[in-house]
Amino acid sequence: MDPINITIDGRQVTTPKGKTVIEAAAEVGIAIPHYCYHPKLSIAGNCRMCLVEIEKMPKLQIACNTPAMEGMSVLTQSPKVLAVRKAVMEFLLVNHPLDCPICDQAGECWLQDYYMQHDQQASRFEERKEHDRKREIFGPNVVFDGERCIKCTRCVRFLQEVTNTDELAVVNRGDHSTIALFPGAILDNPLSANVVDICPVGALTDRDFRFKVRVWYLQKTPSVCPGCSTGCNISIETYQNRISRFKPRINEAVNSHWLCDEGRYCFHDLTGGERLTTPMIRHEGGLVPTTWDRALQATLNGLRSAAPSAGVLSGRNTNEEAFLFAKLIRGLSQDCALEVFYQERELTEVQKILMSPDRSPNFRGAREMGASSNGGFDSLIRKLKHGGFSSAYIVGEDLIGTDRDPEEVRQALKKLSFLVVQDIRLTETAQLAHVVLPSTHFGEKEGTYTNRKGRVQKLNAATIAPEGALQDWEIFGRLLDSSGAQVSCSTPSEIFEALAKEIPGYQGLSYATIGAQGIPLGGESQS
Amino acid sequence: MEKVLLRNIDVLDSHTLAVYRSRGGYRAWEQVVKDFKPEQLIEEIKVSGLRGRGGAGFPTGMKWSFVPKESPKPKYLVCNADESEPGTFKDRLLIEKDPHAIIEGTLIAAYAIQSNTAFIYIRGELAFGAKRLEQAVHEALETGYIGKNIMGSGYDLDVIVHKGAGAYICGEETALLSSLEGGRGWPKVKPPFPATHGLFGCPTVVNNVETLAALPWIIEHGSAAYAAMGTDKSKGTKLFSVSGHISKPGVYEVEMGYPFVKLIDEDCGGVPDGRKLKGVIPGGGSMPVLRPEEIAKVNLDYESVQAAGSLLGSGGVIVMDDTTCMVRAALNLARFFAHESCGQCSPCREGCHWMEKIFHRIEHGEGQRGDLELILDVSGNIMGNTICPFGDAAAMPAAAFIKKYRGEFEAHIEEKRCTVRME
Repeated sequence: MDPINITIDGRQVTTPKGKTVIEAAAEVGIAIPHYCYHPKLSIAGNCRMCLVEIEKMPKLQIACNTPAMEGMSVLTQSPKVLAVRKAVMEFLLVNHPLDCPICDQAGECWLQDYYMQHDQQASRFEERKEHDRKREIFGPNVVFDGERCIKCTRCVRFLQEVTNTDELAVVNRGDHSTIALFPGAILDNPLSANVVDICPVGALTDRDFRFKVRVWYLQKTPSVCPGCSTGCNISIETYQNRISRFKPRINEAVNSHWLCDEGRYCFHDLTGGERLTTPMIRHEGGLVPTTWDRALQATLNGLRSAAPSAGVLSGRNTNEEAFLFAKLIRGLSQDCALEVFYQERELTEVQKILMSPDRSPNFRGAREMGASSNGGFDSLIRKLKHGGFSSAYIVGEDLIGTDRDPEEVRQALKKLSFLVVQDIRLTETAQLAHVVLPSTHFGEKEGTYTNRKGRVQKLNAATIAPEGALQDWEIFGRLLDSSGAQVSCSTPSEIFEALAKEIPGYQGLSYATIGAQGIPLGGESQS
Repeated sequence: MEKVLLRNIDVLDSHTLAVYRSRGGYRAWEQVVKDFKPEQLIEEIKVSGLRGRGGAGFPTGMKWSFVPKESPKPKYLVCNADESEPGTFKDRLLIEKDPHAIIEGTLIAAYAIQSNTAFIYIRGELAFGAKRLEQAVHEALETGYIGKNIMGSGYDLDVIVHKGAGAYICGEETALLSSLEGGRGWPKVKPPFPATHGLFGCPTVVNNVETLAALPWIIEHGSAAYAAMGTDKSKGTKLFSVSGHISKPGVYEVEMGYPFVKLIDEDCGGVPDGRKLKGVIPGGGSMPVLRPEEIAKVNLDYESVQAAGSLLGSGGVIVMDDTTCMVRAALNLARFFAHESCGQCSPCREGCHWMEKIFHRIEHGEGQRGDLELILDVSGNIMGNTICPFGDAAAMPAAAFIKKYRGEFEAHIEEKRCTVRME
């Protein structure tokens, strides 16, 4: 592509042919304000906020739909442009309720932000505002406020162009224009809540999140979605050490701008319930609290005396955890079997846009770390059901609760002479254990996941684990220490450096260089 | 002057194929199919100086020439019969009285761009006209003027009459195309332009009824004969639909450059009952109103009307005498535009209603000081900043009424009542 030279606000800008003015400007850090423009959606050109002055053109032009042409000179800060921004802001606020204090979008509302940046004047509109539907339920996750809507049509275009599900349309005319569900339709596609993210104002809000916390109190931690092995990049947003919501983080190599609903809301199931805060040991038929030292010693003794052992890792365990776990189990018994939890389901076409068929975000990574005996998870469970193991170490998965035949699993686990379960809750599986070890969930962890396509991405701890629970890697590390193994592993970063020396494909990777966008195995060429 | 457009309408059964042919109808089409290459035809129309009669006055031949010749996509010719500009009823007369002239023009234009499918998009309310057009298309099809291998030429053309659902905005060519595609009648952002990305994303020309109806005459009499009429830049004849406070309202065909006052006072018999002219809108409701002194030297051509501060537009002449309350007239138009704004882009969606609300207050004795500046400001903020020309169409008349009859508006605000009808 031939590069094009244009001037924006006096700056020389070189941009590939085919870019629009708004794109060319963004590339050099000049943000032209806009509502309807979205880099992943078709051009609507309806908000008129991005009008800019272009030399030799008598009228202002919308930057989102004006192709950058050789020699073009664009002004984004001229008096005419500044004036039209004020005018457009005034128009957009004509029928918009000015009740930010009770609007859930406040704090992340583009009307608020642009008002402060580009308007800052009182409205001259003194007439009666037009009314529209308030709090109309569009679907299980999305609620609509017609009065706050600025008709940018981002939601309509998303549903037409990304999901192809077409639930929403613009209806009526003039200032009665509004967004509505097609008769009989419900906004319940697997990606429905993305319309909340792309809505620049408070028209579409998240039913799960709204009114729980003001957004300016949220702490944002970049991480990876624990929902499946796609590994969508997310921001875990927390308030008072609780996860309030997931928001997608842009990563063109993985999830672009999107996040599926299942992933978005999976933290409720993965973090809810009463937490285990003390290790427990079976005594006279019941589970009684004990110290970590005793629980870990019992674990080692139990596994050593009851070979063959089965080690089952959760698909949400990190690479670092899987690396240590594999070392631990293999060190205790030559006759062991190791696997990572894996279950598939059928996906619809819309689900396939983002979702993987599993619910094990680090299935690939954990197996690559050695947590696999190559038989596969199903075969390990079959062997377990047929009494092929004397002991088992189950991490982070409720095997009884997730199996198609829970009773069969229950009976198999009951027959084991030793069972250790490491989890955050006292699951049905944990209730059968001889030793229960309280651990942490994805949101409390630091480490790496390797997604289905082989991209190593970093998790960061968004919340602090309850006192008494230990990180999975810490538990494995202490067990390894007690078992006499020589593994230096005091932080996830150290463990990663260790595994990068040992695991094929990970050689040469460094924890420090993974960054916020992850890094593909086998170098950048793979992405 | 020889009539170009209204040549058939006074004849009994002028809408039938038999009568149309008896008056020389379809001879131009036969000639085009037999003797013309498309480029030749485009050249002929360029030379004639014919300009689009929908309101913008864009040269027709040039519009055709923008259609890419080598495009692998189908090309479309669309006849815009969505006449809904306030005060405009010229196309309706042609549709009802001379549908074959429109169809013949449509065939000629389609041939020029080598389109094999032509649509006539007619305003939903014109039910009778649509019936007339459908009958005429049927007759032309039966006779072999439309269809496969027309008159042995190897050229195929389908003509489809499509009824709109009744929205002013669908007269805007890209909104018309959206509607014709089965979508919401929303104008499209440009670029791309219809000539390359029009109907269903294919090269498309949209021509007004009156433009197309002039084509058979031009072909038959030659572009020189057409260009001999009118002024230097505005050639040929134009229809004017005159309404309002006028003795003889109706559709008039005059040569471009015809004196405006002569049309109103002589042809149309002037303002009735000895009252005085107060103002006149020359080109349909979206064009700025002119005061009597402003039209004194104006001629009916694009340039002269523009020099006077308005636009020729569709030729919808709305005459207002001295009993007219200009506030009420402005409100009437503002209400129309507020109602018809499609709502797609912010300035028009919000601004048109805002202006209407202020005009409404002034007319109903609730005007405030500053209202007039506010309307002027709002209309200025709409002008030129919207997706389609609708924004300008709403903004221009609002501003013109205030600027030209400011005293009357101020009196309404000061006295909190209408000062015209009380006299």
